[in-house]
Amino acid sequence: MISRRDFFISCGGAGCALAAGGATGVLLLPRSALANTTPRAFPARFWKKLPQKAVECGLCPKHCKVEDRERGFCGVRENRDGEYFSLVWGQPCAMHVDPIEKKPLFHFLPGTRAFSIATAGCNLECKCCQNWDISQSKPEDVDFQFMPPDEVVRMAKDYDACVTFTYSEPIVFLEYCIDTATAARKAGVRSTMVTGGSGEALPMKEALKFLDAVKVDLKGFTEDYYRRMCKGKLQPVLDTIEVIRKSGVWLELVHLCVPGQNDSEPEIRTMCRWVKQHLGADVPLHFTRFHPEYQMKNVAPTPNETLVRCREIGMAEGLHFVYTGNVPGLAGEDTFCPHCNKSVVARRGFELLGLHIKNGHCEYCGTAIPGIWS
Amino acid sequence: MASDEHDRRRFLHGLVGAALATAGCGSSCGGARAGRDDVRLSTVVTKTEAVRAKPGKPRVVVVRNKKVLVHDYDADAGAVRAMVDAGLVALSGEKDTIAALSRYFSGDTRVGFKINGLAGRNAATHVELVDVLSAMLTKVGIEGRRQVAFDRFTRDLTASGFVDRSRAGGYRIVGNDDAGHEDDLVQMPSSASRLSRVLTSQVDAVLNLPVLKQHMLAGMTGALKNNFGCIHNPNKMHIDNCDPYVAEVNAVPAIRDKQRLVIMDALRPVVHNGPSYQPGMGEVANALLFATDLVAVDTVGLEILEGLRRKRDLPPLAQVDLAPTYLTTAGKLGLGVSDRAGIEVVEIEV
Repeated sequence: MISRRDFFISCGGAGCALAAGGATGVLLLPRSALANTTPRAFPARFWKKLPQKAVECGLCPKHCKVEDRERGFCGVRENRDGEYFSLVWGQPCAMHVDPIEKKPLFHFLPGTRAFSIATAGCNLECKCCQNWDISQSKPEDVDFQFMPPDEVVRMAKDYDACVTFTYSEPIVFLEYCIDTATAARKAGVRSTMVTGGSGEALPMKEALKFLDAVKVDLKGFTEDYYRRMCKGKLQPVLDTIEVIRKSGVWLELVHLCVPGQNDSEPEIRTMCRWVKQHLGADVPLHFTRFHPEYQMKNVAPTPNETLVRCREIGMAEGLHFVYTGNVPGLAGEDTFCPHCNKSVVARRGFELLGLHIKNGHCEYCGTAIPGIWS
Repeated sequence: MASDEHDRRRFLHGLVGAALATAGCGSSCGGARAGRDDVRLSTVVTKTEAVRAKPGKPRVVVVRNKKVLVHDYDADAGAVRAMVDAGLVALSGEKDTIAALSRYFSGDTRVGFKINGLAGRNAATHVELVDVLSAMLTKVGIEGRRQVAFDRFTRDLTASGFVDRSRAGGYRIVGNDDAGHEDDLVQMPSSASRLSRVLTSQVDAVLNLPVLKQHMLAGMTGALKNNFGCIHNPNKMHIDNCDPYVAEVNAVPAIRDKQRLVIMDALRPVVHNGPSYQPGMGEVANALLFATDLVAVDTVGLEILEGLRRKRDLPPLAQVDLAPTYLTTAGKLGLGVSDRAGIEVVEIEV
């Protein structure tokens, strides 16, 4: 019988060894060994009481009105006798060490690692979700470990990595994110978030105080797409994106191109124009390839030409940093200086091939390249 | 099993009782009862007896017993037994309860009681009903070890008063949280789900035992919505008044094909602010509804619910944007009859 601490230490050692050997992701969480299936309940924040023991969740625009003994849409926050609880605080069901490029965050410490964690649950249900087995599950449906914030930070430090909240939807475990990011900042460890952005401004602003970078999945650019494909709404996502941009926390956007669903020329062009107008030309925008998953296994992967065309539209609309993704080797993975047009960050897939940025400036012409480079 | 196959086919086609042939009083026994116009539905019979089915119409039998509730919530087992006897005979047209149950469940069948336990003891499927049914099934030859009461969480079952009776030769209780869900997804047009392993691995037939309740997100909850307890992600399906999600879940073959019989617990429906229990929101109706058509029984249940709400000056559900539109969707999917005019309702007072 090994202790939990010993277990994590042994996992950590193995993970480091693999990471040093060039592995792109290390699964740290076993399916069984020390896994739990009965979640603990921790007091939730960002909610209010309603009459007759009901509560209203304030984390996201759904504002679920949750009756006693029930949960909201995300399935991870529960009303118990008129009090609201998180069933995922400190209980990640996935832990990996990833390259930061996998998030993708291309303008944030290239070539570094992200100690990535996720809990069960999501406040959307995207038909093409790549991580549906955890995002569309309740805490009881997955194996998880109890891992308080200090433990997460310690492991991130062991890996010389930032902490990244990702895979499922960090907004549904926002209290855990905030507490972990707070502990990380105290320890000199950076924190990042990968989110669908369907959140409320107040809790998001609370989290942004302790985050260093956020990547938002801008899944489509019509309300119809969000309603039909994600059980969500577009406008709250746009609002969140603007809140993040105004906060000064580094922001990147990803648009997963689902063939025939959100990749039309007008939709892409409208989106690019919105990004430039509301966020500025320097916010990176990634067009990534869809892979058949979850409820869309009958749809073919995105053709490369679509990604290239989307990137061209973005560049034509005046965005400075437009990328293709999920297709290693396809043109559009490098960062080009918007002034001299030379490759200042060369990549292939998640691998960093070359870095020509010095003190945040293009090594060739001295132009400032927006991002966090050191 | 042949009779089960036959029943399933008939259920799928939304037909009930084509083979019923025993004598009865039919609509000639109809008539209003004083002070009960809000819940009077159709044909009324005054004693336990078989009634000839109207061709092509699914039958819903509403059995009432004024003495069934004791201490406000608890049910009297003897009264429940009498109601079940009357309901099953009237529904099936068979001569007695055992023969009636045998129409739906054969001796080698593993039966799952799909209860609704989320609101706890005050607004859950009555334990007394399950106990009575379990004893009756034993007489059909289905031993207690082949019977299981299930719902989403074990804690909901225990909070609703259910206990494991297997040591005494009775039924087990299992929550989906303990039994788990299948790894593979079932795809539906609007969503996808993993099915409860209780449903897929532990039972051959479901005896659907919903509680009639108003539901603040779905409009109402009854037999169709009770099957949300057979999937892992009902939380994802409570938008848009649960439409079309309730209907699509019930169209999943693994769920649809195991539905044999519905007995809706309407002894004390929750008429407002459901589905949780709210003090003062339970309205005594003293009724159990029997059917094999889930859509039809919900349609009749809705009528009862609206009647009880009227008594409290509560508005019709449609007026507060809570019309359970999934009933119509379920009808369109061929899961049963949602047109009230197309349903035969038999009322029995015991």
